[in-house]
Amino acid sequence: MFWHNFKYSLKVLFKSKVLIFWTFAFPILMGIFFNLAFSDIENSEKLDVIDIAVVKSDEFDKNIIFKEAFKNLSDGDDKLFDIDYTNLDKAKQLLEDDKITGYLVFNDDINIVVSSSGINETILKYVVNEISSNAEMINTLAANDINNEIKKGNYNINYEEIYAGAYKLVSKDTAKLHNISNKNLSYTMIEYYTLIAMACLYGGILSMYIINYKLANMNSVGKRTAISPVHRGQMLVSSLLASYVVQLIGLAILFVFTISVLNVDYGDNLPMIILLALAGSLAGLSLGVIVATLIKANENAKTGILIAITMLGCFLSGMMGITMKYIVDTNVPLVNMINPASMITDGFYALYYYSTLDRFIFDIVSLLVFSILLIFISYFGLRRQKYDSI
Amino acid sequence: MTVFKSFWKVLLKYKGTIILYSMILIIFGAINMSTSDSSVNFEDSKPDVLIINDDKGNKVSDNLVKYIADNSNVINGLKGEDEINDALFYRNVNYVIYIPKDYGKDIMDGKNPEIDIKSTGDYQASLAEMMLKRYIQVQNIYKASVSNEDEFIKLINNNLSKDASIEITSKLDTNKLSNVSTYFSFASYSIMAVIIFIICLVLSSFKEKTVNKRTIISSMNYKKYNRNLLFASFGYSFILWVFFIVLGIIMLGDIMFTSRGLVYMLNSFVFTICCLTIALFISTLVTNKNAVNGIVNVVALGSSFLCGAFVPAEWLPNSVLTFAHILPTYWYINSNDLLKTIEVIDFSSLQPIFINMLVVLGFSILFIILNNIISKYKQKVS
Amino acid sequence: MKNVIEVKDLTKEYKKLKAVDDLSFEVKEGEILGLLGPNGSGKSTTINCILSLLNFQKGSIKIFGKEMKPDSYDLKRQIGVIFQEVAVFEELTVYDNVDYFCGLYINDKKLREKYVNEALELAGLLDYKKFYPKQLSGGLLRRLNIACGIAHKPKLIFLDEPTVAVDPQSRNNILEGIKKLRDNGATIVYTTHYMEEVEILCDRIIILDKGKILASGTASDLKELSEIDEKITVEISEIDESILNEINNLENVDDFTFEMNVLTVKYKKGKNNLGELINFLKKNNVTYNKIFSERPTLNDVFLSLTGKELRD
Repeated sequence: MFWHNFKYSLKVLFKSKVLIFWTFAFPILMGIFFNLAFSDIENSEKLDVIDIAVVKSDEFDKNIIFKEAFKNLSDGDDKLFDIDYTNLDKAKQLLEDDKITGYLVFNDDINIVVSSSGINETILKYVVNEISSNAEMINTLAANDINNEIKKGNYNINYEEIYAGAYKLVSKDTAKLHNISNKNLSYTMIEYYTLIAMACLYGGILSMYIINYKLANMNSVGKRTAISPVHRGQMLVSSLLASYVVQLIGLAILFVFTISVLNVDYGDNLPMIILLALAGSLAGLSLGVIVATLIKANENAKTGILIAITMLGCFLSGMMGITMKYIVDTNVPLVNMINPASMITDGFYALYYYSTLDRFIFDIVSLLVFSILLIFISYFGLRRQKYDSI
Repeated sequence: MTVFKSFWKVLLKYKGTIILYSMILIIFGAINMSTSDSSVNFEDSKPDVLIINDDKGNKVSDNLVKYIADNSNVINGLKGEDEINDALFYRNVNYVIYIPKDYGKDIMDGKNPEIDIKSTGDYQASLAEMMLKRYIQVQNIYKASVSNEDEFIKLINNNLSKDASIEITSKLDTNKLSNVSTYFSFASYSIMAVIIFIICLVLSSFKEKTVNKRTIISSMNYKKYNRNLLFASFGYSFILWVFFIVLGIIMLGDIMFTSRGLVYMLNSFVFTICCLTIALFISTLVTNKNAVNGIVNVVALGSSFLCGAFVPAEWLPNSVLTFAHILPTYWYINSNDLLKTIEVIDFSSLQPIFINMLVVLGFSILFIILNNIISKYKQKVS
Repeated sequence: MKNVIEVKDLTKEYKKLKAVDDLSFEVKEGEILGLLGPNGSGKSTTINCILSLLNFQKGSIKIFGKEMKPDSYDLKRQIGVIFQEVAVFEELTVYDNVDYFCGLYINDKKLREKYVNEALELAGLLDYKKFYPKQLSGGLLRRLNIACGIAHKPKLIFLDEPTVAVDPQSRNNILEGIKKLRDNGATIVYTTHYMEEVEILCDRIIILDKGKILASGTASDLKELSEIDEKITVEISEIDESILNEINNLENVDDFTFEMNVLTVKYKKGKNNLGELINFLKKNNVTYNKIFSERPTLNDVFLSLTGKELRD
């Protein structure tokens, strides 16, 4: 009987187009959307070459340090600026057309003109400040050197050499920094993790659907199974096992797709990834079971409820904006502690970003507690075989 | 009248869905508002930096901290490496500086100690790193010639205090305006999902075979019946639009009552109309409620992801944006993006926005035509 | 004959409504028992109580002499139920549906295959094995519903309104099938509000109303309970008010009605009433088209017992 029911439950689930759409096709479609939308976002957040203009003037020509500095900054592979040397009107026009971040005007002082506040504008200003202070420093250093030479009695001073030496000293990179950040910093991965979370929870639609068929107070087929001489527990376990298998097949396809086509990085710990997928799917399954047993509504409404719960959960764990997860985690941690989508997402994040497993284990345990709790609550509804009304 | 009444009755059955999507918009809007401040003067964009100072009390080290603090947003209150790592991953902190023990002493001894840092690698982090490098640079240069601690610090600060004058041409409150644009762009998702979803579900109830047969044989003129359904759908969309505008006013404030705000509203209204026509088109195409559910999610989420409702359009790959031209949402969001940068609101500056609106209206007409073709075809077949 | 079902003092209350009120009856081996009553009279509730699907406040239920409980698997194995609503999997073919439900009772694959085919043959569905429920007409769906309920060859079968909204052809097929099941030795409990079916099919009938038994017995036993014994219907195009009023004075007449040119006269006792009525009409020069006499129906019985019609 166990396998008889199992076999037909598989048949029923695979035959239902709606179920297969939500659990198999929809996550893949979303994955494609994510890939299209997010593939460039991290690159566009890296510092890019900034377009600026410099208004040509005698003052600028005379300002050797600036000229030299800008030449260096707009040269080479790691250049900071693209500089258009032009006249004032053209520069104004370029700024208005949003072609440049800002332009520089050299009078007695240096004037920076920008159209608005922003990161590029700040960098421009910062660099100009830096060059100014460097210029001052070069002058001071050179003056010191010249003084020293004079003190030494050397009047045959090679000014050019002294200035060049000072310039070299100032522009030499002497800062020793050691980057100790974790390697895996690609936060768009969170998107794909929420996608897996979504697929896991959508699996609840499968368990909800198949359990509905076993409940006499929900479904007429349920009545028919209720009067059959089959042990109830055996029947439920066999049906849920079938839905779990379908769920895992869908998830496996999604994993293969995201890894091979979308290049998603789940970290290196394969056994833990599988463990998390199993636990996440179990959470989805238990969600489906509780919706099936506790909510008295037709199947469409129940599917709607499951989709809504899943979508809200995924939204709160960062699907529609990654920072959402961090904001919720830090401000209302309780919300994401009971949000299964967040537990799954966080589990993958922990595997990807952290070298230790503490956080991951916490997530796994949370998922198991969540699932057991839900199944425990549903248990009373599931165990019932006699009803007050049907 | 009966058509209207039953339309609303069926519609109210789906109030949960409407509430859900509105809630998502509200949460998103509120968070969006809370993370930015506004001003029309030039403000340095400051990276978010976290400093772990293991050399507290030393003047040289404290001065470094002070310099970084003056030029960045110092993030406090993070406990332990895990919280720091989380903050870094989610870009709440761009740059972390670990000042080692005895850093100041080592500097005064003429050494050049290494500093540990963590970086997100984005442009904010690059700016923070520029600052740190510049400071260390200056420090190293002066150290070669000065040995008195106080004089040393004075020289450094003096050198770093240079501040070029900066002139800002735009008088726009860019932060505030980008909030408005972000709200309206995100709202495209809520508007589209709620309108298509609800209208398709409600109309599919009316179009169910038996109900439809009943109406065909009823004394009511079939054309009039359809017209009533159309009006009811329009009424619903209109109310929903007003609701989202009111939400916007509550969250964005008086900026909505400026002429710019009005253009934002008008733009979203045109978009609402377009969503309505899409909804009608889809409801003719499919009457299976389950299929509707799937199609709505694919259409609404797809448009939103590809056109920049969730991710700013400027960050999308060019190929995606090119493709997005065939979706009405793209033109709607493009108008929102333009609206935050236009200096003066007048007829000529609004021209590109009006063109966008025309395109959206063009899409609406296209959907109406398609709707008619499909429904004629379906009538013939049945 | 043994009692297959014994129901004693069964009472089932929903929140305020007493659906079944102190009901007691037996079903004997090999008979077809009809539960007749209007919608909401407690037929389905009674069956659901017997099947241990519903809690009830009072009473005891025994099947094959044993108390029926949700885990009385040995009893359940011998029972087949055809519910009022069609209860099949949309996603499975006709054959798979029957095989699934049969498989809940019978593990042996070969035996099951035989049983499933026999059930399909009985329901006249052999040509539709590969069809999905969506592709079937209403009548065929009902037949599938029946096949699913009886494939495991139960000794006791409940049929809850199996012919609601079914075309005449399918209805005949269903009724024939039920007879066959009885002939094969099954005991059948049949609920319906179609009195014709009960008259044709049932060995014994229980009339239910508001959860109580109004009467029970064979069809002819029950008809004895009717206040009338004969009903004569006459089509008349024109008749005077005064002549009409005289009908009441005729012998044995209980009551009469005249509506839409049809005169219906009900008699307490049947004895040459037709002849006397014809004579009466001739005497008064009333021309009539069609005239016929009939025995009372179960509907008349129900009308006599409750003062209302069986059909709403």
